[in-house]
Amino acid sequence: MSVLEVRGLSKEFGAGGVLHRARLHAVDDVSFSLRPGRITALAGESGSGKSTVARLIARLYDPTAGKVLFGGHVVGRRRRDALRYRSQVQLIFQDPFGSLNPAKTVRHHLARPLRIHGLASRRDVRARVEELLETVGLVPPAAIADKYPHELSGGQRQRVAIARALAVEPRVVVADEPISMLDVSIRVGILNLMRDLKERGIAFLYVTHDLASARYVADDILVMYAGQVVEQGPVDQVLAGPLHPYTRLLIESVPDGHGGLAPIELRRGAAAAAVDPAPGCRFVDRCPLAIGVCRERTPALVEARPGQAARCHVTAPAPTNREDIHAQPAA
Amino acid sequence: MTVALSTLPGEAAPVAERPVLEVEELVVEYASRSRTTRAVDGVSLAIAPGEIVGLAGESGCGKSTLGNAIMQVLRPPARIASGRVLFHGEDLVRLSGEQLRRHRWRNVSMVFQSAMNALNPVLRVSDQFVDMMRSHERVSKRDAVGRAGELLELVGIDRRRLRAYPHELSGGMRQRVIIAMALALEPELVIMDEPTTALDVVVQREILQQVRELQRARGFAVLFVTHDLSLLLELAHRVAIMYAGEIVEVAPAAALRDDARHPYTAGLLSSFPPLTGPVERLSGIPGSPPDLAAPPSGCRFHPRCPHCVPGDTALHRRQVAERPVLREVAPGHLVACHLVEEGL
Amino acid sequence: MSQLQPTIELAPATTPAARTRLRIPGWPALLLRNPKSRAGIVLVGFMVIVALIAPLISVSNPTDFNLLAARQAPSWHHLFGTTDQGSDIFSQVVLGARRSLVLGALAGLLATVLATTLGVLAAYSGGVVDEAVNFLTNVFLVIPTIPLLVVISAYLKSRSMGTMIVVLALTLWAFEARILRGQALSLKNRDFVLAAKVAGESTWRIVFGEIMPNMISRIAAAFVLVFYVSLLVDAGLEFLGLGDTTHVSWGMTLYWAQTNSAVLQGEWWPFLFPGLALVITVLGLTLILAGIDEVSNPRLRDEVRRRGFLRSLVLPVRRAA
Repeated sequence: MSVLEVRGLSKEFGAGGVLHRARLHAVDDVSFSLRPGRITALAGESGSGKSTVARLIARLYDPTAGKVLFGGHVVGRRRRDALRYRSQVQLIFQDPFGSLNPAKTVRHHLARPLRIHGLASRRDVRARVEELLETVGLVPPAAIADKYPHELSGGQRQRVAIARALAVEPRVVVADEPISMLDVSIRVGILNLMRDLKERGIAFLYVTHDLASARYVADDILVMYAGQVVEQGPVDQVLAGPLHPYTRLLIESVPDGHGGLAPIELRRGAAAAAVDPAPGCRFVDRCPLAIGVCRERTPALVEARPGQAARCHVTAPAPTNREDIHAQPAA
Repeated sequence: MTVALSTLPGEAAPVAERPVLEVEELVVEYASRSRTTRAVDGVSLAIAPGEIVGLAGESGCGKSTLGNAIMQVLRPPARIASGRVLFHGEDLVRLSGEQLRRHRWRNVSMVFQSAMNALNPVLRVSDQFVDMMRSHERVSKRDAVGRAGELLELVGIDRRRLRAYPHELSGGMRQRVIIAMALALEPELVIMDEPTTALDVVVQREILQQVRELQRARGFAVLFVTHDLSLLLELAHRVAIMYAGEIVEVAPAAALRDDARHPYTAGLLSSFPPLTGPVERLSGIPGSPPDLAAPPSGCRFHPRCPHCVPGDTALHRRQVAERPVLREVAPGHLVACHLVEEGL
Repeated sequence: MSQLQPTIELAPATTPAARTRLRIPGWPALLLRNPKSRAGIVLVGFMVIVALIAPLISVSNPTDFNLLAARQAPSWHHLFGTTDQGSDIFSQVVLGARRSLVLGALAGLLATVLATTLGVLAAYSGGVVDEAVNFLTNVFLVIPTIPLLVVISAYLKSRSMGTMIVVLALTLWAFEARILRGQALSLKNRDFVLAAKVAGESTWRIVFGEIMPNMISRIAAAFVLVFYVSLLVDAGLEFLGLGDTTHVSWGMTLYWAQTNSAVLQGEWWPFLFPGLALVITVLGLTLILAGIDEVSNPRLRDEVRRRGFLRSLVLPVRRAA
């Protein structure tokens, strides 16, 4: 059923200086699968590793461990396999000002994928490019196609970027914060476009820090903290009844426009340091619920409610460990 | 323009008195060789003592330029073409360089979006506090450091962090340091230009909470400039909406949320998906903000306005030809829209 | 959205103007619109035309020996006067333009090709290739150009133009390679390059089709810079007496004037005219360079508008923080 599956994906980067060598665990043992016609949101703050996951799936990085399965198979390293993968899995970047080549026209950006993957003959390219532009709501397509990126507004550029991703008729699209750099009034347009494209059977991974937009477009959600998925499940269920204290904190922090600024509960502590992480829960220093075991053992992702899993010793204890957790006094 | 003050439910009303700051018919232009762009076009706004005023709009609408103009830190090619910025009745536009230097920071201070750029990377935090204080008043280095320590603790940072360099602090901490510096000389007005935009939601929330607490404790007024209207509805007493260089609506936060009268404000409000309640398809606002070098005729919002239907009607003729002016529709609630004028 | 829009409103990352480099289509047009580069193009274009029609306007064999007409001041017969040997200086200057321009252009071309290929290759490949190229550029950077040329000119039997071109290119490319590598490095990590990779572009096409077009202005600037440095160095060496004494060039005319103490005898013309030709060419090239900088960097464009054209020529450019 799943079109793309990620298993035990990890990515480490070198960090620190010459004397103190450290490893940044940007992504640590992340697993999930994407299904056709569904949007999965990947939420978290900056530095949580969500963009690294997006780039790992787009094969811009090689994973340190784990694998990406496409259609049930590991993708080979040969150029032909890589090309085939790229014709099925596409990435939309955050910054529409940076992701288009300033020296090239819109037409170039859309025509190249068609030519590379042999999806249109030289004669059909023009028509196909215009068709793509119409799909993403850029009219009149013939005029837009000959423009340079700097002649377009931010929202128009992001639509071009989406059209480029769609050119190869992908089965998976990873959108890395596609609206965060756009003006408020045009964000909804891009989100609606994603909702419409989902109907074509594309599997979306929507990477975002904005829970409200995740709720608006997505079916499922993964919440990442310091490189790990700390909670996952259907988006409505997770946002209505979050299990992990970090998810709760995120939800409480969103300004909902209803006044008052209800104070959020948290302990002061350093945020998300995934450099040479010690064993134990990574959220422990900021967690209002932390107990003794949280500093000793990394919690596993446990399905505490049907379809909803979290990494928390307190709210989602592993069945086998229940007794010894209750035996520990609160820290 | 007189402004009635309003409050959020359950809060003591700020005492109505003469405004700290009044902006009158301010026009700020960017002149380039080929054309002149009016980034701020005839804006009037007053801020009462102890009031948090939110200024919301999209990028390029002139909201940051307005903030910079109030602070008198416009850099060429931007310049104030006409209008006045009155601080307790004194026109800041006419101040000399030295008068302005004394006025800035002591009376009005500013928090910028990029904390990293606002702090000097090669100086310790304490030195930056000391330099800033000593450029405004005679104070010994010891006393200045002592006060800097108190200020840091006020914004929730350990006093020992005074010895840190900016790069040793997290983004949220840097922004708190900047806020502490803005409050150091106890100004009556603090302009905050997107102070939390570059930060994560949780950190943003913490800082907003802190700003609110500090503002209550110390009573300074705040002009909070941001693109995030939903945030202002929680934080501000009063919100001004800016579009294409003009203020199109001003209202108490609650009134704006429940009874937005300008179609642009309504569009902005329906651009934020809710975190609770049913998920309905939102419409947003079609099109994109205009180029200020060639703004649309008449009402600047008319090309994107859902209520501007082409046709040979008197309303449409007014919409495309006549610039609407701000009119009071309820106490403290002003709207610049032909629909409101026509009673629609 | 236009590039000239004031960008104070926008966050740095979204500033369109700062991100837009010079594009190929229309960049010659942009250069012609810029007053500095237009002036430069006029000056250099004038010298090129002079060089092209030189055989038609040079009145005599420029090294002709005619003691009867020696040391004559400029007149209708000898527009720029004559040397102490009686040769016509006008003919020497117009024919000398050929050597200077050809030498500069070829040295510039060779150095630019070297610098671009190695610089961009190093930046994009990274790893060992980058290390190797870096080492090579560092070695060439510490070689002092003029002393090396003096030594080479003294040792080589044939001090032909070809040798000069090769030596100049070899000593000047490294500086440009450094700059181009730096620019390619910053472009390499831009999202549009990653996007091209995601689209499935080959490395070859990414380097030449996506990265290079964004470096055109920098590459052109490299060419112009090497062009005029070569021209000056060549004239300088000749003036020092390290040139080929049988050839006609601006440097040689100056050399003979110096050797025969023309100034001591009150003769200004053997210095003035070849010197002026050099100044016009180098000034023209410098103006073109300044123009390229300006049209490809919108910040400079604004700077100039504020400070006025003349002041911007004289004062160093203050880069906005």
